[in-house]
Amino acid sequence: MNPGFPYLSAILLAPALGLLVILLLPHDNRRAVRWVSLISAGVCLILSIYIYAAYDRAAAGLQFVERASWVPSLGIFYYLAVDGINLPMVLLTSIVFFTGVWTMWDLQHRVKEFFALMLLMVVGVYGVFLSLDLFFLFVWYDVSLFPMYPLIAIWGSTRKEYGALKLTLYLLAGSALVLPGILYVYFQSGLFTFDLVQIAQAGLPVEAQYLGFFLFLFGFGVLAGLWPFHTWSPVGHVAAPTAVSMIHAGVLMKLGAYGVLRVGMFLCPQGLADWSPLFALLATVGIVYGAFVGLAQTDLKYVIGYSSVSHMGLVSLGLATMSVGGISGAVFQMFAHGVMTALFFSSVGHIYDRTHTKLIPDLGGMAKVMPRASFFFILAALAGIGVPCLASFWAELLVFIAGYQAYPLLGVCAVLGLVISALFMLRVVQKTFYGEKNERFAAAPDMTPAMALPRALLAGTILLFGLLPRLALDLIDTGVAPLVGMFK
Amino acid sequence: MAGDLMLFLPEAACLLMALTLFGLSLPKHQDQRRVHSWAMGLSLLMVAAGLAGLFQEGHLFFEAYRVDLFSQFFKLLLAVALLLVLGICRQLTGVEERYQPEFFLFLTTCTLGMMLMVSAVELMTLYVALELSSFSLYILVPLRSGDNIDVEAGVKYLFIGITASCLMLFGMSYIFGAVHSTYLARIADTLPLWIHQPGAVIGLLLTLSGFFFKLAAFPFHFWAPDVYQGAANQVTTYIATASKAAAVALLIRLTALSAGTSLYLLDVLMVLCVASMTLGNLAAMVQSDLKRMLAYSSVAHAGYALMGVLTMTRLGYSSAMFYTLAYMVMNFAAFMVVVKVASQGQDLKISDLAGLHRRAPLLALTLMLALFSLAGIPPTVGFTGKFLVFAAAMRDGHFWLVLVGMINATLSLYYYLMVIKAAYLTEPAEPQESLAITGPTRALNYALIAAMVALGLFPRQVLELTEKAVRNIF
Repeated sequence: MNPGFPYLSAILLAPALGLLVILLLPHDNRRAVRWVSLISAGVCLILSIYIYAAYDRAAAGLQFVERASWVPSLGIFYYLAVDGINLPMVLLTSIVFFTGVWTMWDLQHRVKEFFALMLLMVVGVYGVFLSLDLFFLFVWYDVSLFPMYPLIAIWGSTRKEYGALKLTLYLLAGSALVLPGILYVYFQSGLFTFDLVQIAQAGLPVEAQYLGFFLFLFGFGVLAGLWPFHTWSPVGHVAAPTAVSMIHAGVLMKLGAYGVLRVGMFLCPQGLADWSPLFALLATVGIVYGAFVGLAQTDLKYVIGYSSVSHMGLVSLGLATMSVGGISGAVFQMFAHGVMTALFFSSVGHIYDRTHTKLIPDLGGMAKVMPRASFFFILAALAGIGVPCLASFWAELLVFIAGYQAYPLLGVCAVLGLVISALFMLRVVQKTFYGEKNERFAAAPDMTPAMALPRALLAGTILLFGLLPRLALDLIDTGVAPLVGMFK
Repeated sequence: MAGDLMLFLPEAACLLMALTLFGLSLPKHQDQRRVHSWAMGLSLLMVAAGLAGLFQEGHLFFEAYRVDLFSQFFKLLLAVALLLVLGICRQLTGVEERYQPEFFLFLTTCTLGMMLMVSAVELMTLYVALELSSFSLYILVPLRSGDNIDVEAGVKYLFIGITASCLMLFGMSYIFGAVHSTYLARIADTLPLWIHQPGAVIGLLLTLSGFFFKLAAFPFHFWAPDVYQGAANQVTTYIATASKAAAVALLIRLTALSAGTSLYLLDVLMVLCVASMTLGNLAAMVQSDLKRMLAYSSVAHAGYALMGVLTMTRLGYSSAMFYTLAYMVMNFAAFMVVVKVASQGQDLKISDLAGLHRRAPLLALTLMLALFSLAGIPPTVGFTGKFLVFAAAMRDGHFWLVLVGMINATLSLYYYLMVIKAAYLTEPAEPQESLAITGPTRALNYALIAAMVALGLFPRQVLELTEKAVRNIF
């Protein structure tokens, strides 16, 4: 641990600096734009891996703390720190960001604007994960949301304008609940500080927690894809361009779950206790519903979109169990699902770019045409099903055990949901990659080795954390244990 | 005497400017460029005077005129607004050439009226100052070359304005009847004793109505869409920025009279606040003319500003002041784009913005940022302003008001996104030439973008200033 160098500010500023440089570059210099984006993503990745390794697991608690007063009269602080909960999220963001930039290397249309908006979005994502000040947390939360509109509406596909508008309005309607929640908590605590840790330590009046948690649950829950507020998510994913789908499903949806956890559960543990039965119910409905609707889809991206709803339901169920196992499983699932979905969208993106279709009936026998792309998709599908030795297996296992203990009936339903989703994933894999080959695409080129590398990085992460789950779980437990202590 | 001049410095600079412009308007043929250069120079001087006079304090004219940080803050804001508006008047294509010197003259007298208004602490002084600014605007609004719509707008503005003035005078007579004084300081001492009398509340509300009119708050908002659309783009810019700032200043001064003792007044203000926000946003959604849309959005923003005012606390007032500054910056940025894109001074449909990102990428960027700021998306100044206003309301326990405000902010996002969509996504039916952007315009754009982001992320200094300014309004 090195208190001297502001690692966290560096992670936050690297994409911001990249954004500034890109804005100053001339429009036609696409090469430079790509390199600046990749370098800033690379810097973030290296710094994230470093802090992930350097975090002192024995000491636990908040580390790499940077805290300075921002607006003293209102109690706003510039407060960055990491613990066992947000550190995996930061690493996840860096991995997806880096591979996302690389995946979009061949983009030709309005390159400068695309990467500028993407960097802006990533600044927001890092900001949310790193900030422990409610004011800044909200600022970064919205910063990460609004670039989605142009990103989807300009570079997207299928019903892009509808998808972009629906997504933006849904998510910002969610944040319309979060802001009153934050202000409510700010004044109810009586401390007049936006410092999240300070408010959590002092504790809120029990009656304030009831309303507070409600606002945070549904405000952030929209972004986490909590049923029945999930409808923006498949539509948005389908419409978005590849890298945006990757970041969006891989990282952005986690912001919602993270918000429920970090803001809702830390500040209103008693509120969680009051609302957890409803929370668990909605989560389970989401798991089962996502799986069933996924079964009926014919568009590859819709399939992944609905499986995301299902998998994010697992995260919510884990959080609602209020136990160390469940919450750790949920955090690990956020990480594992993030990497997995990024790999999914990245592979589909390649197939779509080459064949200009993502309809399952049109494809078929792709394993022979594009062995590399198919390999990555199938690996992601296996991870989604929860095959052992892949990261999601451990996460899903933990959530199921904790879920069954806390809510036996819902736990069983959730397992059934997973079985259905396994069924539909295998069906998709079978129809798309094996079976009858569509001659139309027989000549479609596979990924070049250079473009396979970022996908390999994602696949490697899934395998690494699948084989060595303690690499993440030990760390996550240090962050979750004190939280669960607050429930008692 | 020298000290008194120091107190009166911004107004003196404004007066000097008005007199110079009057002199320039006398010859039959006047080079418009020359008048504009004079106006720009003098207005720069005025901003300098505003800065120099920022921390002056004292009384003038038998205590009828008060100079404090509160008034000086708004005077500086007004001077800056005038400078900015003049900055986009180099090509006055929307105004007939023979009226152009007068155009600058009346902009200046209007600013002078508003400057006097924010310092006035006596009802008659206040009224005279208000009328000076109003009459200047009555003349400015119909000063537009071309079609007939200008006449309608001018007449509408005049009639609704005069009605509001009458109501205001009537209200003032009630207040005078209740406390036997026209001095605000005396009224503030006595009024809280009388505030539970219906007459006092009605008097105060009617007095406020003159400024509801200026702010285009419900139910005095009917002029806004027609006048915004009918007046020349530059005049609309001025009405949408400077005029609003002065109105907020006076609303703060006058509501502070009741010292937060009247629940009835609070209820009425809350109703007006919610009605303004909701009505403005809903009506803005269905507009196809950009200026009309911005007019309805200004009705909604009047509601947000009222939310800060109605708390009648220091936090509320200081956040309303911050909001005014924020609103001025972002609204000016949006109108600046309107003026530049409508290079012939014509009205602008939202669909006319199609392909703007290619015709003028910088203008498109400024517009996008300004609209996101108006919608209250961080990290822009519009967000920070809304945040502060909502925080003040929440502190007073107006949870539902904040929730309604946030829902409205989300609603407003819809129509702002439609404009952004037009500028960034829609391709024009026929290819259009790219817009030439001069060096100063480019610099102005960069400055506005920087201001919108910097004030959003670093509100500390301005906030400390506004907090200090409201510490003793009386």
